[in-house]
Amino acid sequence: MSRYRLRILDKLCWGCKTCEVACKQENRAPTGVKLIEVSEDGPYWRDDELRFVFRVERCRHCGTAPCADACPTGAISQRQDGIVVLDRDECTGCRDCLAACSFDAIAFDDARGVATKCNLCYHRIDRGLLPACADNVCLAHCIHLHGADIID
Amino acid sequence: MTEFRYANAPREMEAYGYDRVVKSHCRMCHGGCGMLVYLKDGRVEKVGGDPDCPISHGTVCSKGLASVQLAYHPDRLTHPLRRLGPKASGRWERISWDEALDTIAERMLAYREEHGAESVVLGYGTGRENEAVIYRFANYFGSPNVLTAGHFCYGPRIATTVITCGSNVIVDYDNNPRCIMVWGNNVTISNPDCYKGEPFSQALNAGAKLIVVDPRLTRVAARADIWLQLRPGTDTALALGMANVIIEEELYDHDFVANQVHGWEEFKARAAEYPLEKTTEITWVPQEKIRAAARLFATTKPAAVQWGVAIEQQVTCADNNRALLALMGITGNIDVPGGQMLFKQPPIRNVSQFGAHKALPPEQAAKRLGGDVFRLAGNFGIINPKFVWDAVLTEQPYPVKMLFFISSNPLMTRANAREVYSALEKVDFMAVADFFVTPTAELADIVLPAATWLEMDYIGDFWKRHGWLLPRRKVIQVGECRSDHEMLNDLAHRVGMGEHFWDDFEQGLDWILEPSGITFQEFLQMDHFRRAVTYQKYLVKGFSTPTRKFELYSTKLEEWGYDPLPQYREPPESPVSRPELARDYPYVLITGARQPGFFHSENRQLPWARELHPDPIVEIHPATAEKEGIRDGDWVVIESPRGRIRQKAKLTEGILPQVIAAQHAWWFPEKRDPGHGWDESNVNILIDNGYDHCDPAMGATSIRTLLCKVSPEDLRDRSAAGDWTAAGWDRPVTSSDLGRGDASARAGAPPAGVHSDSKEGE
Repeated sequence: MSRYRLRILDKLCWGCKTCEVACKQENRAPTGVKLIEVSEDGPYWRDDELRFVFRVERCRHCGTAPCADACPTGAISQRQDGIVVLDRDECTGCRDCLAACSFDAIAFDDARGVATKCNLCYHRIDRGLLPACADNVCLAHCIHLHGADIID
Repeated sequence: MTEFRYANAPREMEAYGYDRVVKSHCRMCHGGCGMLVYLKDGRVEKVGGDPDCPISHGTVCSKGLASVQLAYHPDRLTHPLRRLGPKASGRWERISWDEALDTIAERMLAYREEHGAESVVLGYGTGRENEAVIYRFANYFGSPNVLTAGHFCYGPRIATTVITCGSNVIVDYDNNPRCIMVWGNNVTISNPDCYKGEPFSQALNAGAKLIVVDPRLTRVAARADIWLQLRPGTDTALALGMANVIIEEELYDHDFVANQVHGWEEFKARAAEYPLEKTTEITWVPQEKIRAAARLFATTKPAAVQWGVAIEQQVTCADNNRALLALMGITGNIDVPGGQMLFKQPPIRNVSQFGAHKALPPEQAAKRLGGDVFRLAGNFGIINPKFVWDAVLTEQPYPVKMLFFISSNPLMTRANAREVYSALEKVDFMAVADFFVTPTAELADIVLPAATWLEMDYIGDFWKRHGWLLPRRKVIQVGECRSDHEMLNDLAHRVGMGEHFWDDFEQGLDWILEPSGITFQEFLQMDHFRRAVTYQKYLVKGFSTPTRKFELYSTKLEEWGYDPLPQYREPPESPVSRPELARDYPYVLITGARQPGFFHSENRQLPWARELHPDPIVEIHPATAEKEGIRDGDWVVIESPRGRIRQKAKLTEGILPQVIAAQHAWWFPEKRDPGHGWDESNVNILIDNGYDHCDPAMGATSIRTLLCKVSPEDLRDRSAAGDWTAAGWDRPVTSSDLGRGDASARAGAPPAGVHSDSKEGE
């Protein structure tokens, strides 16, 4: 079975942050919690030239999913299609997954006392819809769902 | 673009149980993007882009997606208010529309009777697709004074292109320019009139070369083949220096120059005043970069200039535009595929006809404030704001007694904010129409609740020059909010101008469309329309100018007593023009870089937008910061000879050490006192609005280039912002608690309703 993941071409990103708000509209993450975040890399000098790009940070849905291994309650699991799902209702707020993630892609929802992250809008994918951030909102067309051909 | 056409509306409806989806046209900025609005039980649940939109191709922005948070915001004004206490006391009472409009009408008529129609000034901020109806109202009422941002935003593009080549020239992204020169514009972040970032982005992906002129390293600049980091305010010199390279190296379009331009020899002589060495001295851009950019732009066909507002907010406003027009013209890129198009609108009554400019009696037009001073502006119905403040404060040349601002927050967005405050405090009577009670509205006598784009019918983009028309469809009613058009249409009847307006504003929309042979209801059945595009129309008809040529040498400017050729002038407040002042204020302050999520002073109370930018940010080079003892993230004081404000420091190498960049229009709606922190971080407090700080032809205020100093705050972590996360803005709003959040205003009132509208979008 094909594996879903987000393919984001950082070098095309303009930093407009539309993906952040598209995610908010869909997933209603509380203020202060971002499941996708556009960050600045630079400006810095290299080869006598100033470099400056945006980096779009989000869960990579790793093949090995160290966050799932770290979770003591089984609140994080990987689906057959590769999507790593964090079930907030099962989370006890121990933060072990935050420490295990090398992409710093898991946030902590202080209000609810639980970890939270991008679940790749699996609730949309399962209904034949693209994740909110990848559904043609991006003016640079830099966010794509790899494996979207499965959807049709 | 077909590979990107997602947004599967039927499946969205099924998955979420929406009962309706309506195609409409966003107006969180100036308008432009096609939207899909999803509803359930008469309430907007979600908005998304319309993949069939010919302008945005289904992509959206952060502002557009936050529309739902605006429409149903708990602080939203949903019924008219009358002020009870003194100005800025924050004491209001709810009144009916009838009471509100009758009060306004009564005052307008009384002022006209006693002081003349010119004593009543209507105003709007940046274009919100209400410009034409406001002018129509003012013109029939007899007032020549409509206070807009037109003196330094878009108005100059219209005025300078009309006198040079007949109309605004729009980049033809559909036909992929091979070279794009972005000049003072962050097109993928901002909302430059007539443009969206997506087609620009696609042209780059298709391989277009990119030249960027910007004092800041935007991401667009970082991606450029050539980035010209110029000294702020020296654009005309740079453009003329480039023109000189193109002329000296014979890289211009000989055929176009020989047959289509007026004033070639004179222009050549003017450009020759800018040899590279001198141009570099003025602009700080290295000679080899200027030469390389000029060659790349002139030898790559088709090429286009993507311009924006930054070059218009300078004392060389009109000449910046005219110098860039010259570059477009002499390289043969006018009205060609992939170049700068003179698109024609469908046959409708255009903004000029709808605006009824011919209805203003000539003796009233002659009274336009500053019309004889800024004569290019005056000929386009545009006034400089200081004339209005002066007329309120000094009653010269005549008193202004009433202000009526519609979608405008001049206390935050006009230069010399303290003078603006004095004028708004003094003016006899002021009405404001807006979404919220803004710092400007806190000084009003009557505040009217304005509709968002979700609550109005309109002919979207009919004021723009890209030629497309798109239906905006009313999908909801929030409280008693009314569109600017509806409220003015109603008010027109109350001041005895009903014959020039309509029983219902939809008839006004019918009247605009009539020459196309369709009604507004028929228009609603369409996705969009545009007239067939034709190129190089000048070969047959010439240009719509007095000489029928592309006027490098402007006969109109000459007639009005100005230099007919673009000429560089040093900014009135720069290290070069004011070296003694620069000893105390050593840095060049630039202002107004656009931020995702905000539209000038708007959206600070929308959590999804505010979260992107919680604080006002000032950009400082690390070397400068070290010298001044400033660390990244410190709150700092920025000071000019006019005053001081506070913003939060961000250190970046993307700006020259001599330059500092502050954000504009910041207020803090989370601060519940009536000032809402209007003077904490408001960059307009720092700006001189004197007439000698304005472009002599256009009256554009120099807000982009001034002198400042910067220093650390004693309490570096003392924020100017309040705790907006605790304001309750992100709690779900139900229809029953929509209101001002003001118990006294709501007491005894029926709950404001959110009703479904029966209009079907498709």
